[in-house]
Amino acid sequence: MDNETKQKINKRYERELNRGERFWPDSIFKDLIVSLGIFVLLIMLATFIGVDAQPRVDPSDTTYIPRPEWYFLFLFKFLAIYGQIPVLGKIEWLATVAVPGLVILVLALMPFIDRNPNRYYGKRVLPISVMAIIVVDIVMLTIMADVPTVTENGSMLPGILQAIAGMVIPLVAIILLFLMTFVFRKTSTKTMIWTAAISAILTIGLTGGVLAWFPVPATTETAVATTLVDQISAGQDLYSVNCVECHGDDGKVTKIEGVKGLEGKLIPAINSTDVLYTLDDATLAEVIAYGRPEAGMTPFGKAYGGQLSTSDIENIVTFMRYTWDDRFEAPKLKPLYPPLAAGEVPSYDVHIAPIVKRYCLSCHQAGKQNNNYLMDTYDDILKTGDQAPNVTAGDENSTLLKVIEGTPIPDPKDPTQTLIRAMPPNGHMSPDIINVFKLWIMNGMPQTAEDAAKLSVTPTPGAGSTGTPATTPTP
Amino acid sequence: MWKNVYEWLDERLGLNDLYKNLLDRPEPKGNWWNTLGSAALFLFILQGVTGIFLTVYYTPSPDHAYDSINYIMNGVAFGWLIRGIHHWGATLMVVVVFIHMLRVFVTASFKYPRELTWLIGIGLFLVTLGMGFTGYLLPWNQQSYWATTVGTQIAGSVPFIGDFILKVLRGGSDLSALTLQRFFSAHIWMLPAALAGLIGVHLYLIIKHGESNFPSKED
Repeated sequence: MDNETKQKINKRYERELNRGERFWPDSIFKDLIVSLGIFVLLIMLATFIGVDAQPRVDPSDTTYIPRPEWYFLFLFKFLAIYGQIPVLGKIEWLATVAVPGLVILVLALMPFIDRNPNRYYGKRVLPISVMAIIVVDIVMLTIMADVPTVTENGSMLPGILQAIAGMVIPLVAIILLFLMTFVFRKTSTKTMIWTAAISAILTIGLTGGVLAWFPVPATTETAVATTLVDQISAGQDLYSVNCVECHGDDGKVTKIEGVKGLEGKLIPAINSTDVLYTLDDATLAEVIAYGRPEAGMTPFGKAYGGQLSTSDIENIVTFMRYTWDDRFEAPKLKPLYPPLAAGEVPSYDVHIAPIVKRYCLSCHQAGKQNNNYLMDTYDDILKTGDQAPNVTAGDENSTLLKVIEGTPIPDPKDPTQTLIRAMPPNGHMSPDIINVFKLWIMNGMPQTAEDAAKLSVTPTPGAGSTGTPATTPTP
Repeated sequence: MWKNVYEWLDERLGLNDLYKNLLDRPEPKGNWWNTLGSAALFLFILQGVTGIFLTVYYTPSPDHAYDSINYIMNGVAFGWLIRGIHHWGATLMVVVVFIHMLRVFVTASFKYPRELTWLIGIGLFLVTLGMGFTGYLLPWNQQSYWATTVGTQIAGSVPFIGDFILKVLRGGSDLSALTLQRFFSAHIWMLPAALAGLIGVHLYLIIKHGESNFPSKED
């Protein structure tokens, strides 16, 4: 840049300063307003959206799908798209290092590359168009980051469409713009703007198409217990499903009964001070994760082929401590299910599921001796089992209801034999829980809370509400 | 009385000079887009303040990191607010810095005489991303652990020196307590120091050359 141009620029700036404003208070005033706005926005975000709790680190869980901070998602998507290119896609560092490095280098050296002294947009169509295309591409790559490149049945179509939207169109448009500027030279500004606009519209449209045609796979959101109360409850649920069969619901079993292969085995009572005082949290967690192979206890940790994550095991240990260890004082726990108001009909989601998890699922899950009656989902409870159906809406004599009331079901062929024992096998349900089941079955077994709310009767005050719920069964 | 105090201070601190040189300067006619730089500075300070508060309870060890954050969220009075602001502030800072860069690009403010300001700005942008990357690991949860595993892997794909970079980042061949420790150190000492230094130069250059005017047909 020659001195003449520099002087021209400085003079021009001088002129702008003369008809401008003062830094204080004019500029600072605007800055303060924007900063204050940002501060208020942050407080709102922190208060009303907050920070999602995530599960504890579990290096053994290789099924976890990594997801970077959202502002790196576009790079992630770019890598995924690039990886599909035959041959070139195998040279990973081209996409991870060479391309981003080059982009940043060009960006950093912009003042030395773009040597044209003009600052007005009309005179800078090429750089602004290229930047616009890149920014649109970055935003679109971010938006479609969660759509996989290959569908479940192996179709490459989403990947190809993503490559066209996120790579081919922007690249072609940028090359065209450069050709127009440096090779054809006479191209009008209008043509260049149209080229950029059309490429942006195509990219946006195709991204919309990708999102519409290929749904983002649903990720299973696992609730993370963060407060002590939640951790104890989560631990108790896990204990009920995984441990009760051998250790009993109160942990005082010393001789295993009714478990195939471990019948009559002698074990220490895990609710005793012997166990709780001598093993610290880490050791207890280790025992659960690794099992006690010599004593017949299988490993439960994911690292050793079990089902439980480190968070799960931690919760079980917390539950054990606060329930049985007399050195710990348990906080007030939440009830297993919200108590029913008069006339309220219980639902599967809110009432039945937590009860089943606590008392039934331990045996009534796949791979256990249970007459093939699985209770892990709403549909399974209704439909599975050798004697299915075990529950019928509106039937007071449903098998499930009978056995939890403590009445065994006799074998129809030989009435002296019991076909199904009273449940649960060691102990009995509280009348409260039996009542919940009864209300649920008699009112048509609603699955969601909304369905249940529709069936509920609000007792009208003064009309002598008896608290009797609607008993008309819905088929 | 106050006049005397002010004069005493002015004699020693040069308050009048400061006012004349820093605040009472002419600027080209203002534009709301020009506030993004100061917004980024504000966010940097806010991140610094909330970050300092977070270190009171946060423990950078694999055994305690997760629980200490849990405690900040549930046990410490207004801990959730401090962490919430820090969490969302990081997101907003990346957005604001990026849009600030776009604004400078579109108005071509990086041209003579502000080339160096731009170059340092790119450095600021990269360090800000580095802050995001290192801070993401600190909660030591599944998400951060696996994202960092992949992130460092990508850094390790550089030809020839990739393995060296990977080991420097992770402090070994796998993610471990060392990784957490050095990400923590980078997040609260090295990168903020670099950021603060670069911001100082950036600001000096802005005061030296003044804010660029919004380009019109004449420019």
